[in-house]
Amino acid sequence: MRYDAAIIGAGAEGLAAAALLAGAGARTIVVERSERAGGRATTREFHPGFRASPFADELPPIPADIYWALDLARRGAIFRPAPVSPAARRFLRDVERRAADIRARAVAGIDSAPDHSFFSRPAVPAPWPGEDWMALSLADVLAREPPDIAAHLATAALSGSVADPYLAGSALHLLTLPRSGFVTGGLASLANALVGAAHEAGADISLGHDVTDIRHAKGRVSGIGLADGSEIEARAVISTLDLKRTFLSFFQWNALPKEIVHAVGTFRMAGAAARVLFALDTMLPDAARDRIHVSSDLEQLAAANTVWRTGMIAPRLPVTLRIVSAADAGLAPLGQSVVTATLGAVPFRLFDGAWTREKREVLRMQALAALETAMPGAGAHVIAAEVIAPPDIEEALGATDGDLMGGALAADQMLSAGPWPDVPFPRCPLKGLYLAGSWLAMSGTCVAGAAAARTVAADIASGTLK
Amino acid sequence: MSAIVVGGGVNGLVAATYLARAGRKVVLLEAKDALGGACATTTFATGFKGPTIAHALTALDPRVVAELKLARRGLKFAVRDMPTVALRADGKHLVIGRDVRATARGVAAHSRADAEAWPRFRRELFDLARAMRPFWWDEPKRGWNLPPTIATLRRQNLAAWLDSRFESDAVKAAVACDASGLSPLVPGSPLLLVWRGCQEMCGLQSAAAIPLGGPGALVDALTAAAKVASVELRTGAHVADILVKDGAATGVVLESGEEIVAKRVLASLSHSQLLATKAGRSALGIGESTALERSVPAVASAKVLLALNAAPNFGGSPSRGRFLLADKIETFVTAHAASRAGCMPEELALEVVVPTAADPALAPMGQHVVSIRIAPLPRHLAGGWDAAKAPLAAKAIAALERCAPGLARHVTAAQVLTPDDIAKRYGEEDEVTVERVMSDWPSRILTPIKGLFLCGAASEPVGAVSGRAGRIAAAHALREAAK
Repeated sequence: MRYDAAIIGAGAEGLAAAALLAGAGARTIVVERSERAGGRATTREFHPGFRASPFADELPPIPADIYWALDLARRGAIFRPAPVSPAARRFLRDVERRAADIRARAVAGIDSAPDHSFFSRPAVPAPWPGEDWMALSLADVLAREPPDIAAHLATAALSGSVADPYLAGSALHLLTLPRSGFVTGGLASLANALVGAAHEAGADISLGHDVTDIRHAKGRVSGIGLADGSEIEARAVISTLDLKRTFLSFFQWNALPKEIVHAVGTFRMAGAAARVLFALDTMLPDAARDRIHVSSDLEQLAAANTVWRTGMIAPRLPVTLRIVSAADAGLAPLGQSVVTATLGAVPFRLFDGAWTREKREVLRMQALAALETAMPGAGAHVIAAEVIAPPDIEEALGATDGDLMGGALAADQMLSAGPWPDVPFPRCPLKGLYLAGSWLAMSGTCVAGAAAARTVAADIASGTLK
Repeated sequence: MSAIVVGGGVNGLVAATYLARAGRKVVLLEAKDALGGACATTTFATGFKGPTIAHALTALDPRVVAELKLARRGLKFAVRDMPTVALRADGKHLVIGRDVRATARGVAAHSRADAEAWPRFRRELFDLARAMRPFWWDEPKRGWNLPPTIATLRRQNLAAWLDSRFESDAVKAAVACDASGLSPLVPGSPLLLVWRGCQEMCGLQSAAAIPLGGPGALVDALTAAAKVASVELRTGAHVADILVKDGAATGVVLESGEEIVAKRVLASLSHSQLLATKAGRSALGIGESTALERSVPAVASAKVLLALNAAPNFGGSPSRGRFLLADKIETFVTAHAASRAGCMPEELALEVVVPTAADPALAPMGQHVVSIRIAPLPRHLAGGWDAAKAPLAAKAIAALERCAPGLARHVTAAQVLTPDDIAKRYGEEDEVTVERVMSDWPSRILTPIKGLFLCGAASEPVGAVSGRAGRIAAAHALREAAK
């Protein structure tokens, strides 16, 4: 059977795209390597009785129209707003407005629809909402905030990533601040809801199948090949993986035009996140529901960035702690708690070799030290800990360099300034291939998937896809 | 008096001469006893002369040389077309000259792909430079728009830009040296390279040149030109303040109390120096003043002069060259990060010139002068620069020793000018920013005070010995006078 669309990866983007496309009447299949759908939206038991979402506690917001179109509330994806400290609220409103603008553009495809009309083509590309931030540093943008708020916001913006907050362009990291808050029952509930929506719309979901290549000839994509030798024919292929993974692992390089390989090869990744999950045999103070940033100091963030670039582990990594069981009691047994630590500035490639057990132990000790700093005495109650280093993230999610953002946040790699300015996302120079990695609209979940679904549907309707 | 020029540096002399040649009565006031500012030749040890700050002219405006007939006033070049030599610790020095093909052959020793990419890169750079030249060299005509390629470049950082063109560290680091004013991670940093490309394109001085007799010879020629144009030159005249009445400059008052009246005042001050004057403070709004106060540069440079009793041996490379020492782009990234934090960078990036190789008269027979510029360095070092003077020189010599073994043994004398010393002598510089590089002439030269123009090197997109700011400021002043 020939599908209208084959989607690689059953993460939030892939599932949203599948649900929307199938809902629009297209024959759709989602192929996922792992046995479980969800991608980074997973929750698992890391110690008997203790559960946590290993890769992220929260995701960027899902735009309301997508949320309701997929009927996610009825399917059990209930968000609890992330608590925000009142002092930072005013500033965050501006950030949220810009992020929402970017989300809206990505959904509406303003930033993605090619404009072939001669007269309406603007001479200068319209500025996007982050345009003025691309030349500013975090320190510049936050200069007017009180020092403690500025440090808090900078650390929050760089949580699980890395940048020199004094360097021009680092202000773009603020766009990652908006969070949806927790999904009751962990992020897996969101994945389940999306799977439900996709199934109900009539999409096929094929789990445990490894995609080995994207079939193409004469610049046009015709389907995907699987590890078991079978092939799925499709008019359109949507890849939810990042740019590098999509082009460098699903294609023979010499079969692609040189310019594509060059553009993809020089696309910069900035994997810097590691996570440590702690199980504690005690209840922790309920007041600390917000994220706790240990080491909130711009100088230290700058120093960590320098060390990160050399492939070393800084002596004091920036750590963000979250007592996830305080917001969602169901994640830990009664009277006990789960704490996640998100470490930033952790290099994917260490200068002295592989990520050995000892190196992971360094991460655990640093997270533990941060926990002890934030909540003295809590360290003694830790009964289990799991370390997730950058290579683990790459292994589990296929994210190149363990970069959950899908690329270094920089003015020359974002939105309209992607590798192919003439062929805006979600399209790419190969006909029939669409990109829907979460990185394309890093300030929203399901946004890139929805944009790809909309574009594919439009291209099918207009007869561009044979 | 119809115009006063404050500051007798290269740009001050150029501005005064252009005004005088247009028939104005001009007085030039220099606080120190000698003209020339940062462009000077100094005797730093008995028998050894060396360039105080600027050691190779890379940006001298050929129109200034031609229009002021500097050749006739005695300006001769000891060497005009110095190749750039990136010194490598492994001895595979990279010689970058004007001959693209010869350079590409040298690049091939580091990478074949880069050798192929080199001519393409030069073409691209010069295309960009050609597009930007009207903007940087003249006052662009009305309706002139920034080329779209430049708008894209503003978003890109130098590290990424070079990464997508070259693969070998040697080539990338050598190219990045010319844009070391900004961290290679700052969006827009490739523009500094384009600016350099503009300078290189002009046929006269090309890559780098040294006047016969050191940079002081350029000042001598300019002084001669000024005298011929009958500029009144007054040294030792320290200007205390600029006189302003009803928002317009009316003259200056000297520290001696003497007042000089003129309708137009051209000052070779940086914006931060202008702010330090009473007139500047009252003329600028609070917002502008605080913004300027905050923009004190975090990054600066230092200058080291060495006297050697033997010729330095850079392992087979020509001794007439501009030698660059920087391993890789990361050297600049970390040096900028360290400088901003006020720490001494672990690895220094050096630009080295041996003036005596081209002009043996600067040192006793058989002996040599090595001139080293170290940048980036912290403007303010934790613990102060005074204590770090000797360690800085030692560090620079040690770095040189790696590429010129045996050099340290021959050092007989040294002079170190730390960023502190340089700021004390020549005033605080303005920070290099992408906005400054991309600002137009009027915004850099005009001030809120009518009749007061800035004409110093700080009014150039990138500070350098070029004379262009003086030339354009004079043109502005003349045009205003004609109204």
